Amino acid sequence: MVSIKTSYTKMKELLGIDVTIEELDNLLSFAKSEIDDFVEEEDMLVIDIKTSNRPDLWCAEGMVRDIKGILEQEAGIPDYEVNKSDYKVVVDSALASTRPYIACAIAKNLDLTDYSIKQLMQHSEKIDNSYGRKRKRSSIGMYNLSMIESPIEYKVIDKSHKFVPLEHEEEMDLPTILEEHEKGLEFGDIVKGYGHYPILLSANGTTLSLPPVINSNDVGRITEDTKEFLIEVTGTNYETVNVVLNILCQTMADYGADIYSVEIVYPPEIRDENDITPLLEKEEIIVDLDTINKYLGVKLTSDAGTDKLRERRFECESLGKANLKVKIPPYRKDVFHWVDIAEEIAIALDYNKLGATKWKVITTGGLLPETESENKVRSILVGSGGIEIFSNILTEPAILTTNVNMTKVDLVKLQNPVSLTYSVLRDRLFPLLINVLSKNTHETYPQSIFEVGEVVKIQGKRVLTQTHASYAFAGAEASFEDVHKRLHMMLDLLDTEYKIEPISHPAFTEGRSGKILIAEKICGVIGEIHPSVLELNQIWVPVVVFEIQLPSIPTLNCKKKFTD
Amino acid sequence: MSNLEDKVALPPEAIKLYKKISSLKEISIKELEKVMQLDRGKMEYFLSFLISNAFVERTTIVNQKYELTDAGRQAAEKGLIERLIVTALLNKQSLNFSELEKILDCDKQEMNAGIGYLKKLGILQIIKGKLSLLDEKADINKTMQEVLKELSKGNEVDITKHQKELIQRNLAFVQEIKDSILKIVIPYSESKSMITESVDISRLTPAMIRDGSWKTTKLRSYNLDGAPPKYYPGRKQPYAQFLDEVKQKLAAFGFQEMRGPIVELEYWNFDALFQAQDHPAREWSDVYRIANPKLGKLPKENHVKLVQKAHEDGYDTGSKGWRYKWSPEKSARLVLRAQGTSVSARTLVNLPIPSKYFSISRCFRPDTVDATHLSEFNQAEGIVADPSITFRDLLGILETFALEIAETDKFLFKPDYYPFTEPSVELSVRDPKLGNIEFGGAGIFRPEVVRPFNIDVPVIAWGLGIDRLFMVKHGITDIRELFSHKMEWLRSAKMS
Repeated sequence: MVSIKTSYTKMKELLGIDVTIEELDNLLSFAKSEIDDFVEEEDMLVIDIKTSNRPDLWCAEGMVRDIKGILEQEAGIPDYEVNKSDYKVVVDSALASTRPYIACAIAKNLDLTDYSIKQLMQHSEKIDNSYGRKRKRSSIGMYNLSMIESPIEYKVIDKSHKFVPLEHEEEMDLPTILEEHEKGLEFGDIVKGYGHYPILLSANGTTLSLPPVINSNDVGRITEDTKEFLIEVTGTNYETVNVVLNILCQTMADYGADIYSVEIVYPPEIRDENDITPLLEKEEIIVDLDTINKYLGVKLTSDAGTDKLRERRFECESLGKANLKVKIPPYRKDVFHWVDIAEEIAIALDYNKLGATKWKVITTGGLLPETESENKVRSILVGSGGIEIFSNILTEPAILTTNVNMTKVDLVKLQNPVSLTYSVLRDRLFPLLINVLSKNTHETYPQSIFEVGEVVKIQGKRVLTQTHASYAFAGAEASFEDVHKRLHMMLDLLDTEYKIEPISHPAFTEGRSGKILIAEKICGVIGEIHPSVLELNQIWVPVVVFEIQLPSIPTLNCKKKFTD
Repeated sequence: MSNLEDKVALPPEAIKLYKKISSLKEISIKELEKVMQLDRGKMEYFLSFLISNAFVERTTIVNQKYELTDAGRQAAEKGLIERLIVTALLNKQSLNFSELEKILDCDKQEMNAGIGYLKKLGILQIIKGKLSLLDEKADINKTMQEVLKELSKGNEVDITKHQKELIQRNLAFVQEIKDSILKIVIPYSESKSMITESVDISRLTPAMIRDGSWKTTKLRSYNLDGAPPKYYPGRKQPYAQFLDEVKQKLAAFGFQEMRGPIVELEYWNFDALFQAQDHPAREWSDVYRIANPKLGKLPKENHVKLVQKAHEDGYDTGSKGWRYKWSPEKSARLVLRAQGTSVSARTLVNLPIPSKYFSISRCFRPDTVDATHLSEFNQAEGIVADPSITFRDLLGILETFALEIAETDKFLFKPDYYPFTEPSVELSVRDPKLGNIEFGGAGIFRPEVVRPFNIDVPVIAWGLGIDRLFMVKHGITDIRELFSHKMEWLRSAKMS
């Protein structure tokens, strides 16, 4: 999801109609967007765009382009003229293995306000961040054309090269930019991975930028006075670089700019042919309307299908029978398959007007045997007076270890926790119950609690998920009997024989605790929590607990599950 | 006021309590419990005599207590981030970002927040990426640090000065503690003359029934107005109970339950769902990765190769595919299940046709936990597979979910985006108080998803935001309550 800020008034101006916030929200849904917030005093809309593969929608102009189709104000692919310029970019073969592709265009006669510059910058930033994969796959640069002479060189340069980066006043060499400039710190790793420094240079020797990190402070600074732009996109993916340029050219054309092309001279190591960008040739896909009709559950004629697709800003040509040749606007690269065209038709028909149909797939439903088994155990423990607890599976290491006197525990850990509180997976439940008791010492005793839930352990080199049940009883009078009788009744109701044998366990008092065995296999623990653990958790009454692995109870249907 | 002319009979324990309260004039019920060493239930019973006769008056009070959040506890222990930064800079004079990060050994976001904080106060400057102090003497937020320390020890401390900031920075929250205060209305000395100790029998014993003495014994009337002793029956956790009900409903609609592991291969979580390997949702910041072991084993079945082809060139679907070199290593990485759809993906292997499946599964995302975000949540998910199915049928299924599970006829379909379905739709339901709420999402699986599993029929995939629904139904505004460990709530939350 991408979120942008734009002006409500400007949005209405672009649409050419007066709409309330609610009406606008409804219209935006056709561009897979919605209003997240409206700050009336600032005339500011916060709009969330749900699609990650339509960067053309991540600005007001882009959304309006789609909405105008739905409003039937415009139809088909928006067209604009592109004239040839004398500008050329020469690409260095040394970039072949790092950041080989570039696409450029020139926009003239632009009259940008402070607001529209900010909007343009916002759009570029969103594209760089998400579609450009934080500038790794593609990044955008915009420059003041009047300071640039052709041919422009896109090449590898020595690290000693110096220029004044944006927002700075002094010249810096390239390693210094990566180490000290704000953007260098943010995006420098991309360049470090290349092992060399890519640079864009004007024929007069001026530096345009160090892609994808930072523009120069003079050529690369866009202001209200800039009337002629050079737009450039570099990156690792040819298609991405070109579609991003197409999106920007379309938006510039919507602003009323005249667009000029730029020749890209590639060495044979990168591409066999030179490009004249923007590449505005329209991709085509042939679809069978009968198949789409069946898929959606509608009956559209070729003419109706054509109309609907033109509303969605495609061009369409009937090839006879039910075949349609669909031309895709050059600012879109998200059409992979006819199902994508089916969705466009469904959107144009309006999901809320399609008419929902009744169920026709009749099948037998039911819960899994393991859920039924867990439910049996839960109802027995509820019947034993237990209050059910629902804890996080992701928890804090101390809760599972030091808080219950345990040190050597092999927990499944996260590589990238957001906080220590949620950094390991629980491998057992009773420590979490102790944690619950420690937070409720001001509440009436006795406290009788339980949890039935999944735990995750490492077994050998494999990760194992299985369900455990744990019960805890806390109160001035709590004794071993309180848990023993409940465990006994539970296993008796489940028709399972068990044994308890003495155990030495750091969380429990020796001689007052044991391991639970079913069919000679250890499958749980029962006993009185050691007073030192109680002290540590500031619980001032005795606590007795049991915990048992449900897959070990033969009359239940719970299974151990390995991830692989 | 009671009528002083009448005689009042009180049990001896009630008289004892009366004398105590009378001597103290006023006492909280919790204090009284301690002083009298009397079980709360019995005490409530005897108090009811005193209250119903208006000897004693009872009022409920709510005390506010400030408690630390996880972040607050950390700040109490390690120190506030701005203080740590100042200390680091005092020691080293000037540092760049990465040096500071190393010294602090904390979350980057937190560090940046601390830097921003100090910058705003004019204590710190950043010149060419170097951080240094402008005011070396600033002992910033010293008293706040002390307040945190006291709070972490559970001590009472005056926090008025820092109250707003502590809450704003999510370091502390307000907890309400209820108690009752008992106040004497008529001192014992004044009503003593009208009180008699009741001698009648309160308990019917087995012996009395057997020997017939009940016939000649006067059994004391029960006080029917008094509050009974507190009693907490065993019960299911309210949210777990709600999930049970949703499961029952889905089973009744003919959905068969499915399950999957919590620790999941990226293969099932993303690749099998046609999410490209450089998709932003697969990044470090969007999915939890397992540290030990880092990798699992890809399934041995043929579908792995076909999924690879679907990514690279669309396989036999006619799709262009994502056109990149697919990596089996990335696919074998272990993650915490980030979306319930991974369970559906597993079910695609040998999928019976027709079929309908659901699962309610715990999913995980690296979010900072606050009132609207959890690091783990529950998703209801499922699929419907049948040759006859159309997109309008999918809308029909969502309509049923809106009517039967969200229990509303005010809903709307909106175009949506998922990498694995086309068309995709959002189900938005209208809540009278909260406005439009995204309740579910659905779509028809793309051919690039189902073809590698040799499926030729449309498969609908749907998901419901049940956490949100439970919150709306129970008027819960803080999502952390779903996993609340407050005994008070667990014991007394209303069933519905």
